[in-house]
Formats: sequence, C-alpha cells, structure tokens
Amino acid sequence: MEINDTFSPIDIAISGLRAQDKNIKLISSNVANAQTTDSGKGEPYRRLEAVFETDGDGIGGVSLEEIAADMSSFPRVLKPGHPDADEDGYVLMPNVNLPIEMINLNIATRAYQANAAILKRYQQMMETTLELLR
Amino acid sequence: MINLNPNIGGSPNSIKGVWEHGSAPSKINADVKKSDFADTVRAVEKHLAKVDDLQQSSDIFIKDLLSGKNEDVISAVSAAAKADMSFKLLVSVRNKLIEAYKQTMNMPL
Repeated sequence: MEINDTFSPIDIAISGLRAQDKNIKLISSNVANAQTTDSGKGEPYRRLEAVFETDGDGIGGVSLEEIAADMSSFPRVLKPGHPDADEDGYVLMPNVNLPIEMINLNIATRAYQANAAILKRYQQMMETTLELLR
Repeated sequence: MINLNPNIGGSPNSIKGVWEHGSAPSKINADVKKSDFADTVRAVEKHLAKVDDLQQSSDIFIKDLLSGKNEDVISAVSAAAKADMSFKLLVSVRNKLIEAYKQTMNMPL
C-alpha cells in the first residue's frame, strides 16, 4: 500500500482539487472584472482561462499549465460620459460573458466535487480492504 | 511510504521455493529463513515511526491552518487523509497480532 507516491489516488484527487480551486479563482476574477474598462495596460480587462496538463506521462494528477488570456475582441459600448470613452463616445468593455462564466463555475464546482468524491471513495475502499484483516 | 511486507523474514523467491513441486524437503528447509513472532513485532515497530511522521505532519498542517500561518486547506486535508489511512492500517495489523498472540497463549498444552 503505497500512499505517498504521485500515482496514488489520494494525490491525484488532491491535485484535481487544487487545479479546480485555481480554476474557480480565475472565474471569480473574470466575474469581478466583468465591468473593468481599465486593466492598467491601456485596454479593458481581458478574460482569463485555465489550461490544464497531466502530471507525468499518461497516468497522474493534473496541474495548471498556463493561464491563457482570451484574445477575442472587446465589445464597444456607447458611453459618452465615460472617462475611458474615445472621441465617438464608445468605450471598450471586457470580453467577459457572465452566462459563460456561470456555466464554467458550475463545471468547475462539479469537477471539484467529483475529485472530493474520489478521495472519499478511495478511503472507503482502503477501509474495506482492512476489514479483511479482521 | 507504507510498505508493509507480508513476507517478513523471507524473500519472495524463497517463499516460492516452498510451493515448488519436486524439490527435496531438506532443500526447502535450507532455503527458507524462519521468521518468528518477534520479527513481526519489530517490523510493526519500524512501521510505527512512519505512521508517526504522517501524524506529525498532519498535526503541523492543521495547527498552521488554525493559527493562520498557512491557508492551504487542501494540503491539510491531504495530510490528514494519509495519516488516517496509515493509522488505520497500523491499528488493523496490531489488532491482528494481539489476537494471534492471545490465541497462541490460550493453546492447551
């Protein structure tokens, strides 16, 4: 019973929990900045998306490979009084779509729950095995 | 980390030798190093240190979490799960050993 190697279901499930935790952080950042017209880089907030990769070759946990910026175009909204408006009165808004973020949040939450379920079930399986010793 | 070898006191090859057909009985006795109860208890003792390490690290994680030094709940959960599993294994083996000892001691001579 190896429980401290990287291939053990405990560590794999924990890596899944960590990855989804970061994913949820990114989603909350997107939602919080859904109206941010100034990200400090001379453009509105750009939506962020998590890209995952497998640890090891083939079998193993998951880790966050990179935080990719969504390069789709910013919607133009007419707001003549806005300080960030151009000469025509249009403001570039972040390319964040709230419904999409809510669905992604649902997916991330379910994935988190699934990993927690794996962890719990694996512990139960080990208890079943130990029952055989009695 | 936990690697409790059920074949204490004998390599898998020598165990295999016992069940091989056609080998002379005297040869079998020469191959297999006998293990006694004390060996097994000593193996559990060694294993105890590993279980203790896991318990200690789990303890540190939880203390750091409660004192605010560390905010990684997931690490604490992972350490607790590992400590829990290894401890359960230890308790099960210990119970089995005690039971075996009692049975041996109650044997009518």
